[in-house]
Amino acid sequence: MIRTLIPRSASRSATRPLSCSSTLQPTGFCLYTSRNRGYATEASEHDLIIIGGGVAGYVAAIKAGQEGMKVACIEKRGALGGTCLNVGCIPSKSLLNNSHMYHQILHDTKKRGIDVGDVKLNLKQMMAAKNTSVDGLTKGVEFLFKKNKVEYIKGAGAFSGEHEVTVNLIDGGEQTLRGKNIFVATGSEATPFPGLTIDEKKVVTSTGAIALESVPKKMVVIGGGIIGLEMGSVWSRLGSEVTVVEFLGQIGGPGMDAEISKTTKKILEKQGMKFKLGTKVLKGDSSGDGVKLEVEAAKGGKAETLDADVVLVAIGRRPYTAGLGLENIGLDVDNKGRLIIDEQYRTKLPHIRVIGDCTFGPMLAHKAEEEGVAAVEFVKKGYGHVNYNAIPSVMYTHPEVAWVGQNEAELKEQGVKYKVGSFPFSANSRAKTNLETEGMVKFVADAETDRILGIHIVGPNAGEMIAEGVLAIEYGASSEDVGRTSHAHPTLAEAFKEAAMATYGKAIHY
Amino acid sequence: MPAMSPTMTEGNIASWKVKEGDLFSTGDVLLEIETDKAQMEVEAQDDGKMAKIMQEAGSKGVKVGTRIAVLAGTDDNLSTLTLPAEESVPSPSPQDDLQAGIDDSKSSRSKAKAPSSSKNENSPSVNTSKPPVPSTSSGKVQKQGYPLYPSITQLLHENGVSSAEAEKIPASGPKGRLLKGDVLGYLGRISSTYSSEQSARITKLGHLDLSNVEPAPPKAMAPSQPSKAQARKVPESESEPTNTEIAIPISLSSVISVQNRIQATLGITLPLSTFIARATELANNDLPRSAATGPSADDLFNQILGLNSVSTRTSRGNYLPQVSALPETPSMERADLRRQPDVYEMLTGPSSVSTRVLEVPRPGITDGSKTGDLSNVFSVSAAKGDEKRARSFLERVKTILQVEPGKLVLLSEQVDR
Repeated sequence: MIRTLIPRSASRSATRPLSCSSTLQPTGFCLYTSRNRGYATEASEHDLIIIGGGVAGYVAAIKAGQEGMKVACIEKRGALGGTCLNVGCIPSKSLLNNSHMYHQILHDTKKRGIDVGDVKLNLKQMMAAKNTSVDGLTKGVEFLFKKNKVEYIKGAGAFSGEHEVTVNLIDGGEQTLRGKNIFVATGSEATPFPGLTIDEKKVVTSTGAIALESVPKKMVVIGGGIIGLEMGSVWSRLGSEVTVVEFLGQIGGPGMDAEISKTTKKILEKQGMKFKLGTKVLKGDSSGDGVKLEVEAAKGGKAETLDADVVLVAIGRRPYTAGLGLENIGLDVDNKGRLIIDEQYRTKLPHIRVIGDCTFGPMLAHKAEEEGVAAVEFVKKGYGHVNYNAIPSVMYTHPEVAWVGQNEAELKEQGVKYKVGSFPFSANSRAKTNLETEGMVKFVADAETDRILGIHIVGPNAGEMIAEGVLAIEYGASSEDVGRTSHAHPTLAEAFKEAAMATYGKAIHY
Repeated sequence: MPAMSPTMTEGNIASWKVKEGDLFSTGDVLLEIETDKAQMEVEAQDDGKMAKIMQEAGSKGVKVGTRIAVLAGTDDNLSTLTLPAEESVPSPSPQDDLQAGIDDSKSSRSKAKAPSSSKNENSPSVNTSKPPVPSTSSGKVQKQGYPLYPSITQLLHENGVSSAEAEKIPASGPKGRLLKGDVLGYLGRISSTYSSEQSARITKLGHLDLSNVEPAPPKAMAPSQPSKAQARKVPESESEPTNTEIAIPISLSSVISVQNRIQATLGITLPLSTFIARATELANNDLPRSAATGPSADDLFNQILGLNSVSTRTSRGNYLPQVSALPETPSMERADLRRQPDVYEMLTGPSSVSTRVLEVPRPGITDGSKTGDLSNVFSVSAAKGDEKRARSFLERVKTILQVEPGKLVLLSEQVDR
């Protein structure tokens, strides 16, 4: 209590003529601080302080601004948008799109009747294009802050009291803010691989993998999840020999449907990526020119050594709460470092809520966004809601993979009887004309009620197509409801409709 | 008790808007139900008459499915009706009847006797054709305020169900939407409860699973807790096992003389802990950054992008010093320190500092009044690489406490006011 009392009295004293704020500092203190610093310049109390300007934080800030709250958002990166906008989703999509074009011009346009002469990769320009996208978007968020009267504070925030956040400003100095409500939205960081030091040059996380200065000859990806496969795809298309080492027996992580995962693996193998499934990395050595990794089969087997110029560590992400001063106010984390919350995102101090990657649930930008809005609504209106069963997952390889709801393995485990209907893109007219016929749409619906329980797609444009699936699940639709809804011809979305028809009856074109 | 939402398990009856024997028509508010989330009105689905109220206004925690009232048709004579038993109750005993769910079409066919134990009513029999709130499904009948789903329209037409009848099918979908499964259940194609059970399962999937949260093991606690002011130690860096203990001796003599003086002149006793807490607060400002925090991955990327990276000169610390008293040892300096300092010296002047080799400290602050010992060991625990930061923190605490405790007094007085 004493700790919280002190700054409060300091702010009070600052308003009194008899004791200006300089009396707070003993003169001997100047021995240690050469530059002049004012004691925390405190404005009046904020309705809401948000620590972290990533997707969860900035969306909550804008929403709060729109609701008329006095809101401040603290971000230490120097740019808004967090991992997603700066070093995650957005820059990787720029590289995925442009590397795909390069790859297509090299290997695919000839059969379509387009002869291209000398094709050369200008990696520097590709990175510049990526940076243009990132800069444009982060500045766009800053503009939205201004528009919605969100106070943007550049610095690293830490709890100095239950209602108080002290910001170590990027431009030097310090600022203390008081808030009726505080949201923690500090996000996540790449989980390091024990024994390998991340230097973002030879041993990289996703952050380094979107900023390599040259195309590595050999790349090993540890972890066959979404991040590993996306970044592996980029460098494979640009000419690297990419090997993906995955501990589990399937790629895409545990959420991806097993059948879809197998199909995806075949397609990516055709594109030149190599996979070592059920394989664990024993140790790595990055002391030499390249990196040496020792791997062996997870169920025991002979070890082998993999050589690589660059190793991408993509074994997952973990909550990032370092330097937040959680211990100052006694907030708890669980054994995975996630801040403990209740259903309304409240910590044990009910005015402090936690949203996004640093708490429970899937680490997805759009989940964080939903939580940002819901948490503000809890504060402002007493009720907010996120339907965690209707949150899509998308992998932006080529072709894309997307899913929503439950997969077959999960339903078997719960003992739910279901039926499956699928439709291959090879039978879809638009896919045929595009010469992109790999993949399929698969519905999983309840055997009795026909209610859609999960939708799984691998194929061209899967990421856009899944939106219809999310809507169907949000509304509790049956496969028949989708199958009886008109879809334009000729479109890829017809495959979606036909898969629904195959679930409750029969597809027409297959 | 009707389920007003898929997650509702029980509710309170706020008030009845109709009395026993009252007539009501479709859309009239029958009662108000309150849950922990909201207060809701229950409207009549059809014209009718209130036959009997089983749960009076003010009833708390009534489970969903419990019978709260019996409705009769507008033309029924209440004095001749018999209260029905529920289908879910195999033996129509009075006690079971009280527990049973609200009436539905099947149950009313078996005309049980009125519960003799509850109240003295005659034997009303109930209009059986129009169940107001069926208990077969946790979904509740609700007028569908949007176009019916295509599969449902198809099913209704195939089976000759009129749209008026369709409105009476209990809907288990999100926000009371009618689903294909509800209609299949109504038509008897599948079990009538299956659809609502499925909805309950899917609703559960829609929430974060916070059921098995395992808190991280607590971090190492402070070895001793000398006083309330120093109740806990704040580890500077998490998951750093190699913490070093940094300690310096600090004389509290100036503080104590200020304290005595204030007591003598103003009659207020300021505890030592206030002085120390205040000094700690000031000393924590603008500490040199920890050497352990190198540039992060984000910093590196920001450099590549040419963006501003976080300035890393100073930051606020989180130190709370542990205070232990020194064993009493005779010292020449102490005699000097114990003389009454004059006001000027007390507020501004430097005083001599004892720097001795430390012996085993004992916990607790000594105020020196009994033992004559005025030096205490202040210590903090510093993670690897943070030693410099911790040391400069302690040096500042020392300066503030030994050189200028007078400034702290000015602050303290304001706090007390």
